[in-house]
Amino acid sequence: MELFRPSSLAEAASALGDGGRALAGGTELVPLLRDGLVKAERLVELRRVIPSGVEGTAIGAGTTLAELEANEEIPDVLREASRLAASPQLRNMGTIGGNLLQATRCWYWRLHFPCRLHGGDICHAREGQHREHAIFANDYCASAHPSDLAAALLALDATVETSRAAYPLAGLYRVPDEHDRNVVDLRPDEVITRIHYERPERSVYLKAMDRRRWAFALVGVAAARVGDETRIALAGAAPIPWRLDSPDALAEATPLPGTAFKLELARTLVERALARLG
Amino acid sequence: MPVRRLPEDRGGDLELARLIRSEKEVEGRYEEVWTLVDEDALEQWPAGPGAVVGLPAPRIDGYAKARGEARYTADVRLPGMLHAAVLRSPHARARLTRLDLAAAAAAPGVLAVVGPGEVEGVDGDAPFEGWPVAAVAARTEGEARAALRRATPEWEELEPLLDPDEAVRRGSLVAPSRTYERGDYDRGLAEADAVVEAAYTTQTLNHNPLETHVCVCEWRGDSLDVHVSTQGIWGIRSELAEALGLAPDRVRVLCEYMGGGFGAKEGIGTYLLLAAELARRTGRPVRCALSRREENVVSGNRNATRQHVTAAARADGTLTALGGEFTCSLGWRGWLPPTAGPMQLLYACENVRTAEHGAKLNLPPMAAFRAPGFVEGTWSLECVLDKLAAELGIDPLELRRLNHAETDAMDGRPFSSKQLLECYRRAEPHWRRRDEVRARSDEVWKHGMGLASQIWFGGGGPPSYAWVRLGSDGRANVVTAMQDIGTGTRTAMAQIAAEELGLTLDDVEVQVGDSARGPYATISGGSSTLPSMGPAVRSAAADAARQVLELAAQRFERAEGTLRLDGGRIVCSDGESWSLAEITSLLDDGQILGKGARGPNPAGMRILTFGIQLAEVAVDVGTGEVRVEKVVAIHDVGRVINPLGARSQVEGGIIQALGHTFSEARLDDPRTGVVLTKTLDAYKVPTIADVPEIVCELVDLPDPQLTNLGSKGLGEPPIVPTAAAIANAIRDATGADVTSLPITREEVLRALREAQERERVGALPA
Repeated sequence: MELFRPSSLAEAASALGDGGRALAGGTELVPLLRDGLVKAERLVELRRVIPSGVEGTAIGAGTTLAELEANEEIPDVLREASRLAASPQLRNMGTIGGNLLQATRCWYWRLHFPCRLHGGDICHAREGQHREHAIFANDYCASAHPSDLAAALLALDATVETSRAAYPLAGLYRVPDEHDRNVVDLRPDEVITRIHYERPERSVYLKAMDRRRWAFALVGVAAARVGDETRIALAGAAPIPWRLDSPDALAEATPLPGTAFKLELARTLVERALARLG
Repeated sequence: MPVRRLPEDRGGDLELARLIRSEKEVEGRYEEVWTLVDEDALEQWPAGPGAVVGLPAPRIDGYAKARGEARYTADVRLPGMLHAAVLRSPHARARLTRLDLAAAAAAPGVLAVVGPGEVEGVDGDAPFEGWPVAAVAARTEGEARAALRRATPEWEELEPLLDPDEAVRRGSLVAPSRTYERGDYDRGLAEADAVVEAAYTTQTLNHNPLETHVCVCEWRGDSLDVHVSTQGIWGIRSELAEALGLAPDRVRVLCEYMGGGFGAKEGIGTYLLLAAELARRTGRPVRCALSRREENVVSGNRNATRQHVTAAARADGTLTALGGEFTCSLGWRGWLPPTAGPMQLLYACENVRTAEHGAKLNLPPMAAFRAPGFVEGTWSLECVLDKLAAELGIDPLELRRLNHAETDAMDGRPFSSKQLLECYRRAEPHWRRRDEVRARSDEVWKHGMGLASQIWFGGGGPPSYAWVRLGSDGRANVVTAMQDIGTGTRTAMAQIAAEELGLTLDDVEVQVGDSARGPYATISGGSSTLPSMGPAVRSAAADAARQVLELAAQRFERAEGTLRLDGGRIVCSDGESWSLAEITSLLDDGQILGKGARGPNPAGMRILTFGIQLAEVAVDVGTGEVRVEKVVAIHDVGRVINPLGARSQVEGGIIQALGHTFSEARLDDPRTGVVLTKTLDAYKVPTIADVPEIVCELVDLPDPQLTNLGSKGLGEPPIVPTAAAIANAIRDATGADVTSLPITREEVLRALREAQERERVGALPA
């Protein structure tokens, strides 16, 4: 394997277009490589060519979770999502750009079961162990998206700026189906450079975990109020970060037998989040 | 030196043979063995702290560990060393149909390959996931693993047996079912004013020591050196010698520092046999280390259980019947742990009926895990007892006190010592705070307190030996071929030797971990290290001290009986004293060698450890989150050698128990039997943020019947009652009965719903 250190974003994008894999903090990519879930001949080191740090309501994609957690300018929902993610060591390395592109923690996918995301024709989780899995959009694939930050940014109505374009964060994700089993809609040579968010009046992130720290969300609830509008998004609830149009939209959940409790958690946490917004 | 004749109840007459028939217990398994014992004729020290023993001592190897200088087996790198990797079945039950070993052998860096059938336990008929099929040795671990991928095995998958109840129905058992009955169980039920029945389950748990199973094997001619992360170097020596057809003395086992075992490292594994064989074939040292994934599948586990228990009592709280049926999912092999043990032993109940089944399944085999059986059995017994207390309207602590067993509830034998009532007495001031704790409740967070009793073994036994060398510098060196598995054994042994020799801790060094450089020592399992090794070390130190005084008596022309060692000096009863060096310096390069042995256990007595834990919890009734705010642990383990080390054991046991209570669970795919939680993101051990305030109180009274120390083991007791104490606290806080481990969010929410439903039905007009 080769590590390529481009000197410009254009050089990075071109190397990625030629089959290289993007490396920033490495906290996700390295385990995926080790487990054979991602194959790469060439890693493209992004940290020197993508922006890092916070300017106003723009966050460089190379900004670490630890920086976000410590920055008082960052809205509560995103700071809290950063603080409650992973461990200090991981937050010191992991970047916000990489965090948005995390793969699911579905154990069947991670263990190479021939599931739908791997091109197979069944979702093993639906009939198997699925207590950490999805309660929305789980018919084809019951995997849950693990990113706390993505839910926070959905609540902040964030825009993703890439080397190619800028679009709402929701546009980065797609629910997998038989035509396209990817959960991320990013071209091979496209690099996330910045995230722009809208500053809320109040915001909050609540996360239910199996232990107090260093666990992926059973359910994460992000909520933000901007003017009259309140936006809610969920982590760990669907194959992609999940926007809730209103609390009532929880009625549309389709939990599996082992994830019914997640819906209960989501109801309580959404209610509490909204109460916190006032 | 006060010498006492060994009374008959401690193994007989000193004039008679040293070979005795004695009961030996490890992890709750008893067997009668012939044991070579030596005298244990020293009077115990008086209760309470001495000059070194009984006072808190930081670990003598703490700096070496903190600086990274301590060499663990995982750190061992020998010149020319190769790395092994093991090809394992990815299926729970399958037959190997194709394997290209030649391709693996031809892979870069590969020097040797072992195929199916070439080492015992390595073949193509896989009865559980992770079953070893072949292995290679290569220059690097990466090359070894890459070579295995080239072997491109093909498998015919077979239907696995995964359901324990079905296994029991079909008679698929690892060991014959065990039944036990005393008194008249049915009459006991009939006489009761209250009967509570309940079902409980516990999950499969992995040990996950920081250091995975790892060994380095190196042949020297026809002798084998084995560096191995193990809890019992002598067991490795004898098992390996037998497996390889070698004289035991041809196997040298080394384990200098050890990164945890918890019961999973008590014997050899196939990985060790493979490393030995690959080392033999290549003529080079071969290292074999399990990956974290392998560790989480094949290294042993605490078996899951399904339990149905019944507790019955008269209105005054007297237990009239205890009954239980316990089904253990043991996996493909193992042994039936004493899950019914607490029910049989903890209380003075006349009528007890238990049945234990060990289901044989196409799942990885169980292994001992910190108080095996008793952890699972205490969970159900202490939960159902609290339900019974509620039914009777009796205080839970009072109910336990009422049914205290004065003698062994199974056979009436006296206890060597038992301070459980003292533990209960010390629990009272904490228990009295429960109204105050409950009063902290608000709409969301409900607070409560619960408690649970603990009973377990931990008496240790012979044989075990130690030497103490005293050099001309007046420093002592304790030599014994035991292992310190991270519990602080080195420090405790140094304290014991220092106390006996009148030295400071700094004057004592301890050499362990090499079967060729010291005498036989016990396995570090079953809370037996300290109660087995401590008396041997004291005995060796006393032997050395006796020799010093003998020399001093001659040198200073005093009667031997007038001399003693104290504070680094030889003190005479006439008031005169001399520094120890005045005698030891006469030795030049010579040494005084003291030898000591662990004496027998008292005959006809039951040796157990006891305790009680109280847990304070807060339960979020909206999300099912449970926060343990405080655990008070009060245990009776006889004399405490190192209060600081003991506290570490209590804290470690409780923290591990918290993982077992809330977040740890091995999950298997119900269709294929494949383990899904192979990594530490999925298998969730507790983090420091999960640790509550832990209050540790040890009764610290020597067991007058047990050895020259009166000390029992403490490795396991603290993990035994924690889960039940927490579950009882959750009930106290919310009325919800949690019945399955781990106590996940869904389990708490389910129990809360059930409690609400009960309340609703109860509130309906009749």
